[in-house]
Amino acid sequence: MASEHIVRGYEEELRKLNNTVAEMGGLAENQLGAAIEAVMTRDTELAARVVEGDVRVDQLERELDNLAIRLLALRQPVARDLREIFSALKIASDLERIGDYAANVAKRSIALSQTPAVRPVYALPRMAHLAQIQIKDVLDSYVQRDADKAYSVWKRDAELDEMYSSLFRELLTYMMEDPRSIGSCTHLLFMAKNIERIGDHATNIAENLYYLVNGTPLEEARPKGDMSSLEVMTPGRAPQ
Amino acid sequence: MSPATARQAMPRSSPDLQRTEAQPAPRQKVLIRNVDFYYGAFKALKNITMPLHDRRVTAFIGPSGCGKSTLLRVLNRIYELYPGQRATGEVMVDNENILSPGLDLNLLRARIGMVFQKPTPFPMSIYDNIAFGVRLYESLPRHELDERVESALRRAALWEEVKDKLHQSGLSLSGGQQQRLCIARAVAVQPEILLLDEPASALDPISTQRIEELIAELRPDYCIAIVTHNMQQAARTSDYTAFMYLGELIEFDETERIFTHPKEKHTEDYITGRFG
Repeated sequence: MASEHIVRGYEEELRKLNNTVAEMGGLAENQLGAAIEAVMTRDTELAARVVEGDVRVDQLERELDNLAIRLLALRQPVARDLREIFSALKIASDLERIGDYAANVAKRSIALSQTPAVRPVYALPRMAHLAQIQIKDVLDSYVQRDADKAYSVWKRDAELDEMYSSLFRELLTYMMEDPRSIGSCTHLLFMAKNIERIGDHATNIAENLYYLVNGTPLEEARPKGDMSSLEVMTPGRAPQ
Repeated sequence: MSPATARQAMPRSSPDLQRTEAQPAPRQKVLIRNVDFYYGAFKALKNITMPLHDRRVTAFIGPSGCGKSTLLRVLNRIYELYPGQRATGEVMVDNENILSPGLDLNLLRARIGMVFQKPTPFPMSIYDNIAFGVRLYESLPRHELDERVESALRRAALWEEVKDKLHQSGLSLSGGQQQRLCIARAVAVQPEILLLDEPASALDPISTQRIEELIAELRPDYCIAIVTHNMQQAARTSDYTAFMYLGELIEFDETERIFTHPKEKHTEDYITGRFG
């Protein structure tokens, strides 16, 4: 275990930075969970609370930015300390986006709740659950400074991308079979995309954590499982 | 119990984490008002007006010859040891002008202690180094004097290292220890204000950090002014920073403000290293 700075105030400020990241992360994870629950239970009040809850995530990001600027200006950090502060800034930015996407899912669920339920909605919780695991694991890896754990989060993003691709095909098929479902399915499509983007941000965090611990970036090409941009579908023909 | 003794008996508050947390507005301990200073005919300080806040650290930065050490030496009138040096204007300490003639200078220098760049232990034992000043002002029984010496050495984070060799010469200590001895000597006479003139300039980086941590520990109990040519040290240790140039005060503000977005371009040029 590394020893502490001689000047205790410095140590305490860095700890405060870490705690703010952890707090943001926990909040973002909860926001996603609550958003999906709002979708599945069609609970518009819960959805509204999630939307409001995003304000706190944004506030924490601003607090973290101020603390990081202060540390950079007043403590002249070098080496690991500098990477800590740099990584905390980037990770906070990713967590803020995760919070935004969760709030977007919640917002859309309000509109979705006003239309009849469609079958593809039942695929959404599984995707969201995986995204939640990604967030939780990457935050654990941050708190424990565990680059190996971060690496496994990084690799698992392919699985989330594949789930998105599969849901994309399912939704398109459903819309072609029944055009009355286009409204609901479009909302679901955006929600699924939001969750896929949450996964991407968790992967960003994993890359930043890897850099923080090892001092060099993760060089491998990021695994890409999202084939939806290559998807070609025409009515009356099975998807390729 | 005298107010000074009562203050020393108070529990130690936590060190400079308080810099990052919201605090009530600090009290002004010193107000420097329209101070000019002359070395003979040369005007070294021009119309300086600024406060020093109690329980806070105020740093003075600026290029060589800007007047920061000169200003420090006005605060305890140590310039009066030298002929041809004089100050005009006022320095109010708790609403009393300490520049007024007829003020007892010895008492003043007990209230306002000073530590210099080069450690200056007396050529006597560690114990006597601390006791010397105390004996000048007070007549204490032996056990109380022992307590005062121990308390001062503890305050200066030196007690554990020297408690078994108090009879050894102060000159036998390392540079960093000698400097902490000088700080112990200054706090032993229970001052209200501490003036530190480049206190770590002669020390290695680890000793410097120990002195900086010590300043953080002393902060809750004293009004501290530190002159440093190392502006990063000012950034690390102080709550307020005064930037001086050619005898003038260019800018005075909270340290965080000075080092993130100062008001004066001149200040920004200096701290970013855009001019010498």
